[in-house]
Amino acid sequence: MVASSALGSTLGSTLGSTQVEQYNYDIVRKFTIMALVWGVLGMTAGVYIASELAWPFLNFDIAEITFGRLRPVHTTLVIFGFGGSALFATSYYVVQRTCQTRLFSDGMANFTFWGWNLSVGLAAISYMFGYTQAREYAEMVWPIDLLIAVTWVVYLVIYVMTLRKRSQPHIYVANWFFIAFILATALLHIFNNMAVPVHMFSLESYSLHAGVQDAMTQWWYGHNAVGFFLTAAFLGMMYYFIPKQVGRPVYSYRLSIIHFWALIFLYMWVGGHHLHWTALPDWTSTLAAGFSILLLMPSWGGMINGIMTLSGAWDKLRSDPIIRFMVVSLSFYGMSTFEGPLMSLKSVNALSHYTDWTVGHVHSGALGWVAMISFGSFYHLIPRLWGTKMYSEALIFAHFWLATIGIVLYITALWVAGIGQGLLLRAFDEYGNLAYTFIETVSFLHQPYVIRAFGGALFLTGTLLMGYNTVMTIRKAKKEQSEIDAKVAAKLANA
Amino acid sequence: MSSEKNKPTVQTTGHAWDGDLQEFNNPLPSWWLWTFYATVIFAIIYWVLYPAWPVGDSFTKGMMNDITYTTADGKTKTTHWNTRSLFLKEMQVAREDQAKYLKDINALTFEQIRSSEEKSAFANSMAKVLFADNCAACHQAGGNGVVGRYPNLLDDAWLWGGSFNKIQETITNGRTGSMPGFKASLSAKQISDVAEYVLSLSGNEANAAAVKNGKAVFSGQGGCAACHGADATGQDFMGSANLTDKVWTIADVAGADTAAAKKDAIMNVVKNGKTREMPAWKNRLSTTEIKILTYYVHELGGGK
Repeated sequence: MVASSALGSTLGSTLGSTQVEQYNYDIVRKFTIMALVWGVLGMTAGVYIASELAWPFLNFDIAEITFGRLRPVHTTLVIFGFGGSALFATSYYVVQRTCQTRLFSDGMANFTFWGWNLSVGLAAISYMFGYTQAREYAEMVWPIDLLIAVTWVVYLVIYVMTLRKRSQPHIYVANWFFIAFILATALLHIFNNMAVPVHMFSLESYSLHAGVQDAMTQWWYGHNAVGFFLTAAFLGMMYYFIPKQVGRPVYSYRLSIIHFWALIFLYMWVGGHHLHWTALPDWTSTLAAGFSILLLMPSWGGMINGIMTLSGAWDKLRSDPIIRFMVVSLSFYGMSTFEGPLMSLKSVNALSHYTDWTVGHVHSGALGWVAMISFGSFYHLIPRLWGTKMYSEALIFAHFWLATIGIVLYITALWVAGIGQGLLLRAFDEYGNLAYTFIETVSFLHQPYVIRAFGGALFLTGTLLMGYNTVMTIRKAKKEQSEIDAKVAAKLANA
Repeated sequence: MSSEKNKPTVQTTGHAWDGDLQEFNNPLPSWWLWTFYATVIFAIIYWVLYPAWPVGDSFTKGMMNDITYTTADGKTKTTHWNTRSLFLKEMQVAREDQAKYLKDINALTFEQIRSSEEKSAFANSMAKVLFADNCAACHQAGGNGVVGRYPNLLDDAWLWGGSFNKIQETITNGRTGSMPGFKASLSAKQISDVAEYVLSLSGNEANAAAVKNGKAVFSGQGGCAACHGADATGQDFMGSANLTDKVWTIADVAGADTAAAKKDAIMNVVKNGKTREMPAWKNRLSTTEIKILTYYVHELGGGK
């Protein structure tokens, strides 16, 4: 069986350039390119708004580019544009290769491509013009929500039907994570966005939930977007691309089962820890904090399984920049899933909440884990999609260092900013008076904000290098292909 | 860790996907399992200590974690742990720290506060935050104001008086200062002459003939002297500015580079007038807070 599937994959890659492929790579290529496009745009928006915080004149009093409008543009483009497209690309690739079957429907796959990218693009434009339903990470107005819902259900159908027609007896672990991500995201998206439009032709709507229940619904959605969209799905990516890149089996099947079910069960409970010290009843946020602590080891199960899969191939770290991306991504995954439960405790949260520590924490997950594992996977994927080698390995190394240094600067700057801000805000002097004025706690942030913007700019530069490297790789592949075609044509003419 | 278990001798599950994708069947790392059990114990203890699980239409209240605090009106309360009570408890501690000083501050005169190192240190510590959170938006963090808009509190010039009592009155009730515009009642030449005269009052260069005419307009037809006084030194009961010092609060004469620009700045005020308002704080700050702010503003530099 091993031999036959190896043959299958060889056939797949040699037939890659002919008209009928064994697998639908076209949809994977399209989503890969869009992931990079959205990534560059979204990270550019991120660096710009980080700079606005450091140098507020950059708002220029132009409403469309002020921090408040561009912030959701940034989060939407990086999470749903970059992250989402990366997940579509890798999940469609992984499900086909591990089920050894073609996607259920090319037409439906194309529909998800257009539906998804249209949603992301429309969302970004509508935020700039002030159309938002003001739910964090779900700011899209209701017509876009409907488009996303339809797209997502089609995605689910394609995925489930592809799994059903697999020619492998077992479903590979990566697919469990992908299917959990698709199911949970459908649930979260639909319940969080239940709203009544003001009237048929209005983009405004009223949320179906009210008051603190609305806040709870938002964070049930918000934290599970982290849990299922930004964690489970990328673990799926990790479970395929790491063993593939190092050429070793996954460390422990048992660990993958246990941590999968623990993760799936526990994540759903923890959203309330975003609402400590608010109108949410204390018991609700304590419950969430307890489950957040329980989530630590299930999260680490994924990290351990990845790291232990890599162990035994450490020598490749010297020569293979892709493995470096993977090791760093797992390290940041472990770090931020330790930091998260810590911040969910009431006493720590009293200091960290409403400060930039939270923002730093999110980015150690988003840049360190999500983006790094995506970069690593893409560098593995792109040459296989276009049937050539990457244009430049040196650029991959450069990207690795720019991204890594960028993240470290970003996170440390925001630790200083957040912890410092938290301490300043609640410091009393010996007379029982507040020790610092509000404006002192704000002006203190300037320096860390400058360093954070610089760190973000380094990260963006790395992504731009990747974009360039990818464009050059595709051009190289086309050139190689036309040379082969010319040779074949010449031979045919001679014959 | 358990690298010895990672040798290829460990069995795989026997499945293979996409050619070479396989899985070892390693057991769960024991440190992972034990740490997971430890987090379970941690979570249970946490849930026992704090309000945590819904039960019927109530919830578990938490144990060994009660909060006892005294409210602002002196009632002592003990409740199960909750966010609100913890806040009230923290406020109580701060209030008690402040109380021993505040009692004295209320009883003492401004001069007595000034003569006590401890009392003045307390007043300055409390006023610094009060000032920054309430006053600095207009008068700026250092109290130097914005020329043309908000008076400088650091210099010796006081539109409404710089004594403790006057400052206290200003903060408590607010002030509205209004200078009318004269472009309807005076000719362009008259306004120009008055501006020359005003320039000359504080030692700026001015055209002698125009100054003479301007002085006549100032004390005669223009009616300027009615508010600014015959000697142009202003009157603090109505907030009219002293025009003979080098302090400018509306027309930015000191900041203008050329003689023409200085004159333009004055003419602009004479033509269009200016109304400025300092809001009353008696409904937003307590009398003690206003007293402390009065002391602080007085001591910023220019108090009389």
